[in-house]
Amino acid sequence: MSSPLLSVSGLTKWYRRGGKTIAAVDNVSFHIETGETLALAGPSGSGKSTIARLVLRLVEPDAGRIQFDGEDFLALGGAALRSRRARLQMVFQDPLAAFNPRATVARVLDDPLRIHGIASRLKRPRRIAALLERVGLTPDLAPRAIHEISGGQRQRVAIARAIATKPSLIVLDEAVSALDVSVRGQILHLLLDLQREERIAYLFISHDLGVVRAIAHRVAIFDAGRIAETGDARTVVDAPQSAIGQALVAATPRLNRA
Amino acid sequence: MNPLRRFLRTPEALAGAVILAALLTMALAAPLLFPGDPQAIAGPALLPPFQDWSLPLGTDRLGRDVLAELFHGARTSLAVGLAAAAAALVIGAVIGTLAGFAGGLVDEVLMRITDAFQTVPSFLLALAFVSVVGPSLGVVVVAIALGAWTGPARVARAEVLSIRERDFVAGARVIGMHPLEIAFREILPNALPPVLALSSVIVAAAILTEAALSFLGLGDPNRVTWGGMIAEGRTVLRTAPFLSIVPGLALVLTVLGVYLAGEGVVETTAVRRSLS
Repeated sequence: MSSPLLSVSGLTKWYRRGGKTIAAVDNVSFHIETGETLALAGPSGSGKSTIARLVLRLVEPDAGRIQFDGEDFLALGGAALRSRRARLQMVFQDPLAAFNPRATVARVLDDPLRIHGIASRLKRPRRIAALLERVGLTPDLAPRAIHEISGGQRQRVAIARAIATKPSLIVLDEAVSALDVSVRGQILHLLLDLQREERIAYLFISHDLGVVRAIAHRVAIFDAGRIAETGDARTVVDAPQSAIGQALVAATPRLNRA
Repeated sequence: MNPLRRFLRTPEALAGAVILAALLTMALAAPLLFPGDPQAIAGPALLPPFQDWSLPLGTDRLGRDVLAELFHGARTSLAVGLAAAAAALVIGAVIGTLAGFAGGLVDEVLMRITDAFQTVPSFLLALAFVSVVGPSLGVVVVAIALGAWTGPARVARAEVLSIRERDFVAGARVIGMHPLEIAFREILPNALPPVLALSSVIVAAAILTEAALSFLGLGDPNRVTWGGMIAEGRTVLRTAPFLSIVPGLALVLTVLGVYLAGEGVVETTAVRRSLS
C-alpha cells in the first residue's frame, strides 16, 4: 500500500501543427493517493485537458509512464484495458455533449453495469434507481431522454455513470464550469460526500481557483504544458509563488474584497 | 404539428406520396385482380387499348393482357428497387462507419475499394455481374446494390469522422465499451440521417437499372418486368407503339414519385432539424 493510486511520470504529448511541433504536455509528473483530490489548474491551452485524456488513454502519450492501481496502465490494451476502465472514470465539462443525443437516462446508466457485468439484466433497473438516488435524483427520471432534463440533472447523471462501476479515481474535466453557481455548489457537495463515503480519488481539472481551494487537497498549477507550482491547495491559492499562479489568483473575481 | 401532416403539406411530397401509394396498391393488388400467370395468353394478339373492356390496355404480340403485366411488373420493379436500395444503404453505412471509425490502414483499404467500385460505371458492373452469375431476382438485386453502395459509404464515412471526435464517443470508451459497439450503436445511428437522404435517389436509380437490365434480356425470365415489356414492344414499335409507351409511362411516373416523395422527406426532416 506504499505506492500511490495513480502516479504519472515524465508524461509528454506533442502536437504537430503546420510543420511546428508544440508540446501540449511537457515532462509532467504527479501522483494521487487513494481518497485524495489533486487539482490541475491553469489558463486555457495550458494542457490540463490533454492530461485528462492521456490519463484515461483517450489519446496516447509520446513519452512517460502512468502507473495506476499498481499496474503499468500504458502497457494495457484491448480487453484488459477495457476491463480496467471500470476503476478509472471521467466526468466531462459539457454534460450534453458527453451523452449520445439519442440516449435515455436509463440507457446511459445501464451501459457500464452491462459492460462490466456488475448486475444481471433483471437487477439492473433497481441498480439504476439506486444510482439515481445516490446522486440526488428521483428514479422516475430513468425513462427520460438526456436532452429533456436540466443541465444540473445531466451532470448528476454523468456522476452516476462515473460511480456505477465503483471506481477508485474519477477525472473531472472542468466538470462544474458549465453549471450555474447554485447548481455548482450542490454538485461540489455531492462530490465531497461521495469521496468521504467511497474513498474515491479525484483528478479535478479547473481554471477556477475558488472552486479548487474549496474541493482539492493539493493543486498543481499548469502553464504551457508544464507544472509551474505544486503544493497544498489552500497554501498555493492563498500565496502563489509562481508568476502564473499569481496571475490566476489576481484574475479570480472576488466580491468580498475589502 | 406531426411530421406526417407537415410532410403532406408540400404539393411535391403529396404528389409523390399519391404516386407511390398507387404503385404500392397496384403491386399488392396484382395477385388479387389478376390471379394466375400474367404471362399466359388472354386474347387475340396485338389488341389495341380501349377496344375490349375485359382487356382494357389491350394485348401484346403473344396475346398477353398488358394491364395484368403492368400490375405484376410493378411488383418486380418495387421489390427490386427497394431491396437493392436497402442492400446498398446497409453495405454503404457499414463500410463507411468502419472506415471512418477505424481510420488508418483500414480506412485507406476500404476507401480504395470504394474508389475502385466508383470508377467502374455501375450499369456496366451490374451487366457483367448478371451475365456471369445468371439472371434471377436475387442476382439482379445484388448486381444493382454493387454499383450503388459507394455513395452511402462516402457520406457515412464523412459523418462518422466528425461524430467520432465528440465527447460522447470518448465517454463510451471511458466506460469500457467495445469499439465495434461504439461504432455501430453509438456512432452509426447518429450518422444515419444524411445517408438516408440518399435513399430516394438510389431507389429511383435501382428501378431504372432493373428496367435497363430487363430490356437487355438480363432480367429474371420468370417474372414480368416493365423493362422486359418495353423490349417486347420494341419489335412492333411502329405498328403497336402502346406496348412500349404504357410500361414506359409507368416507369417515368414511378421514378418521379420516388423522387418527389424523397424530396419531401428531406424537406420535412430539414425543417424539423432547424426547429429543434
